[in-house]
Amino acid sequence: MIRIERRLRQPRLLSVVVPLVSVGFAFGLIALVLLATGHDPGHTYGKLFRSAFGDTGALTSTFASATPLVFTGLAAAAAFRMNLFNIGAEGQLYFGVVGAVAAALLLHGAPGAVQIAGMCVGGAALGALWASIPGILRAFGRTNEIITSLMLNYVAGLVINFLIFDTHSYWRDTTSPSAAVFPQGKALPDAALWPVATITHAAGGVLLPLGFMVAAGAAIVLWTLYRHTRFGFELNVIADSPRAARYAGMRTRRKILAVMALSGAIAGLGGAAQAGNFDHLLDPRGLQQQFYGYTGIVVAALARYNPFAVVLVAFLLGGLKNAGFALQGADFPSGLVGVMQGIFLFSVLGGEILIRYRFRLKREPGAAHLPEPVP
Amino acid sequence: MNNSIAVVIAASAVLYGTPLLYAGLGELLAERAGVLNLGVQGMMLVGAAMGFWTVQRFHVGSGGALLTAVGVAALAGAAMALIHGFLVITLRASQIVSGLALTIFAGAAGLSSYLGNDLNLASNPARHQFGAVFPSAAQHWPIVGPILFGQNLLVYASWFCVLAVGLYLSRTRPGLNVRAVGESPAAADAMGIDVIAYRYAHVLAGGAFAGVGGACFSLAITPQWVPGDEMIAGGAGWIAIALVIFAFWRPDLVLVGAYLFGAFAALPFTLQARGVTIAPELFQSLPYVMTVLVLVLVSSGVAKRRLGAPAALGLPYVREER
Amino acid sequence: MRAITKRFPGVLANDRVDFEAASGEVHALLGENGAGKSTLSNILTGLYRPDEGEIELHGKPVHFRSPRDALDARIGMVHQHFRLVTPFTVAENVVLGDHRGEGRTLRLRPRAIERRVAELGEQYGLRVDPRARIWQLSVGEQQRVEILKTLYREARILILDEPTAVLTPQESEALFRTLRTMAAEGRTIVFISHKLNEVKAVADRVTVLRAGRSVATATAAEATAQSLAALMVGREIPAPARIATAKRPGRPALELEALCAQGDRGAPALHEVSLTVRAGEIVAVAGVAGNGQRELAETITGMRPPSGGAVKVAGVALATGDPRAAIAAGVAHVPEDRLGTGLAPSLSIASNVVLKSYRSGEASRGPFLRHGGIRRLAVEAIRRYGVSAPGPTTPARQLSGGNLQKVVLAREFSGKPRVLVAASPTRGLDVGAIETIHTYLREAAATGVAILLISEDLDEILALADRIAVLYEGRIVGERHCPGADVGEIGLLMAGGAGT
Repeated sequence: MIRIERRLRQPRLLSVVVPLVSVGFAFGLIALVLLATGHDPGHTYGKLFRSAFGDTGALTSTFASATPLVFTGLAAAAAFRMNLFNIGAEGQLYFGVVGAVAAALLLHGAPGAVQIAGMCVGGAALGALWASIPGILRAFGRTNEIITSLMLNYVAGLVINFLIFDTHSYWRDTTSPSAAVFPQGKALPDAALWPVATITHAAGGVLLPLGFMVAAGAAIVLWTLYRHTRFGFELNVIADSPRAARYAGMRTRRKILAVMALSGAIAGLGGAAQAGNFDHLLDPRGLQQQFYGYTGIVVAALARYNPFAVVLVAFLLGGLKNAGFALQGADFPSGLVGVMQGIFLFSVLGGEILIRYRFRLKREPGAAHLPEPVP
Repeated sequence: MNNSIAVVIAASAVLYGTPLLYAGLGELLAERAGVLNLGVQGMMLVGAAMGFWTVQRFHVGSGGALLTAVGVAALAGAAMALIHGFLVITLRASQIVSGLALTIFAGAAGLSSYLGNDLNLASNPARHQFGAVFPSAAQHWPIVGPILFGQNLLVYASWFCVLAVGLYLSRTRPGLNVRAVGESPAAADAMGIDVIAYRYAHVLAGGAFAGVGGACFSLAITPQWVPGDEMIAGGAGWIAIALVIFAFWRPDLVLVGAYLFGAFAALPFTLQARGVTIAPELFQSLPYVMTVLVLVLVSSGVAKRRLGAPAALGLPYVREER
Repeated sequence: MRAITKRFPGVLANDRVDFEAASGEVHALLGENGAGKSTLSNILTGLYRPDEGEIELHGKPVHFRSPRDALDARIGMVHQHFRLVTPFTVAENVVLGDHRGEGRTLRLRPRAIERRVAELGEQYGLRVDPRARIWQLSVGEQQRVEILKTLYREARILILDEPTAVLTPQESEALFRTLRTMAAEGRTIVFISHKLNEVKAVADRVTVLRAGRSVATATAAEATAQSLAALMVGREIPAPARIATAKRPGRPALELEALCAQGDRGAPALHEVSLTVRAGEIVAVAGVAGNGQRELAETITGMRPPSGGAVKVAGVALATGDPRAAIAAGVAHVPEDRLGTGLAPSLSIASNVVLKSYRSGEASRGPFLRHGGIRRLAVEAIRRYGVSAPGPTTPARQLSGGNLQKVVLAREFSGKPRVLVAASPTRGLDVGAIETIHTYLREAAATGVAILLISEDLDEILALADRIAVLYEGRIVGERHCPGADVGEIGLLMAGGAGT
């Protein structure tokens, strides 16, 4: 008989080892899926690794796919740590694009740095604003933020569709010839395009987008905020026990709202980076096919809500996504990326129980205690 | 008269509402047992894929193939739900994260697309599809003809399911037990109800219903395979989750809500065909906006006790905790 | 039950416990909090499985794999925290999980069940409306539903875990009569308690548990309260003695003026409560649980907005409904629920020590925390209050009840309070910890802190209080000076009897 007991102490080592073992387990499971569907796992994994991290071009693309995921991952981590389940990074990122593009278009003619700063502010502001809707409902109406933020993703998607396809909005391109054939967004002014740094010592040079660096900066800020500030201390108490926080005189409602807005601002900043570094316009179809927000939740969960781990995990999942895109074809069926992400997440989620609980294999009285293998 | 806009909209509301109805009933069963499953979108897509694959593969006559397809879709949905159930019931993982993981795993960029490719679903048109059951004379009766008699078997079966689920929850002993498991697992456990078994059973039933909901698209509404979320009209799975809240966790209201949301889904097409141009986004966003409003209402003090979610929704049950 | 052993992580809850009860008797299971009474009864009802040992029922060994097995063996239990589904009706709760007789049918027939419930209620004096929903019932009525559940399932063995904790003395009397009736029918009643007088009043025999072991079984009529107490605690304890404190109460530190507040369900819970506590004085609020104690503590400390009246500290009215204002005015609070309200369970002792003072100069500079300073404060608190813990980074949830309360007190006294509101500060603690907490409270009063002690334990109140106010249904129904208060009279007031 197997008994599950809560661990009194959670050894630090476990919180690193268990996720790693879970990921290894996931690779094994995916290999089985591949074998079952007639693919050679070794071959597929090899190709996957090469297309993700194998050369400078691959690394450049991986950084590009990782950038939005760092932002949405941080957005999810910031909220989930507080037991605020903001599923709305997806929609908040859309609004970030809307805000950033509007800022750049409004600042047309200003110096590049001003335009880029304006995009960051515009993106973060709209993202925060959109996230404040579930935030306000949760803080003042005790309405479950999971479902509201989720529903608002779809509303956000419909809003950006409307802006480009069904109205002559500020964001829509109404002048260029191609726009007459198919509706599309107004392109950013050249000065508003975000720069890309070249890491030169690698042969050919790996291109590191500004957005990725901003994201890494956001991770440092977030970590400092949660670990070293009074605000972060209050958040930790509220997350652990809202009653204790109220007892200690903390203003819980304001903090809930602040965290939702912060989470939305990070996602919105991700939208700004996406528009500035990669898309250069508001592209509703493209945005809605990427699932940046939902993947961000995967990233945050795999990183166990640690901001630095978010950067790393986003880089790895970005590589997977980029490779999946590059390899799509006979020996790498589309859909495998989602399957792999899902299995990674299932394994790490399932592995969590090994951190919180310990398994004891009991025989007859006078029991022997053996650790249970990873599921 | 049967071409009047109201009748056309009502008829298509029933058609488009049916998958929502199946998926919503399934989610309702799982949530009544205390398990939130956000993976409906994924379960529906896999159900749609496997249902479509079955009609293409089994050559046993139209009726047999279609019924088998519905069964396979249900099994596929239940298999997806089993993953979620194992993670959240046995391994006590977060229901939210696990449900989202299921959406990604099984959804438009995951297993359903993988299956669609590997099984070559997109290349062939449908061999069989569900059609109208009643003779065409009945379908031409004024008003009720198109709405009530012009529908396919899946629609009629869904009415039976609403009735069955409603009676099950309110009038039977296992139904009472499920409600107890969702409200207070500790009380249910103390009275000898197997909380774990009840939760598994209803999560699996929920998955089966979602699978059938997905199959409604690939076997009746748009009998073909299209990769991506478009296969199930964009976000049918998410609307189904919204629907359960909108219906205050009651099967009869799930029916009403499904047809209302179905009407919103169908309205833009119908209006467009009549030359009326209203931004389709307006109607498409209504289900989401209305659900948010209902949720705000439900979470306000007074309504919470009478209309609220099962009290233990989203919480794992652990007996031996100290 | 023989040689029952049950381990929880870090705790040996039952250590080779032997227990035996005959049919037709009321058998009390007596022990301090944490002695293993609840664990033992949870094993007997199949909720937990024993690590070692065996259970015999009517001479035959049985193995319960789940509560269902125990129910089928006709063992029923009334848990301390009721296991009721609150949105359900009484009848639905009673029939829940039943799979015999009426339960074999798939269809639910509410009318038949309601009739049966009404009949049983009539027969045993447990009257309650079968169609009422649980949340509409009083705590006493809910307990009747719990007993009806076991009767409906035809339990031959009925276990009640601390059943009188939520009852008035009169309700307890009625319960005892019901239990005697049931025992007279040949049922076995296992009555779990830590109150000696109750055990003497209702039980035929008593088994005493101490620190997870069964130490003795005695006939109730032959045992004395003193001998049972000694068995329970493991040493002779003197009758609770007052330590005389000659003191002159100072100026009013806490004044309540016609304070009104609502309960969680929106019903009025406090009615124009007026009370004054002077500096250096301990005023106790006595009463049966659920008469507004929690609301009183929460309203004074700002956690619950009042619906009328005022709270004054040192003559200045508090901004009500704001815990921060109360803290700033020098109101310290030892809450009823120490782990969850008083302390954040997963956070470290250090974080909990600065839970209220994290904005102070020692714990933070500007918006940033000073981890070094916080650590120093925690180490100091652990040393001064004798908290036994591995270190300041240990999460609060790993501490025992007594140590949790020490951390709470360390933090509350560190704020140099004028007023301390202590709600059931010793509930669930063992005798040693109770003595320590009492000493801290007395010392605080000696240094001029005004203490409002809210307690359901009359012995505690008599040992500490200078004045006693009795709270009944949200009203102060009497005030007596102490020492000199008549216990019988206080008890009568607590039960809603005539007061002055």
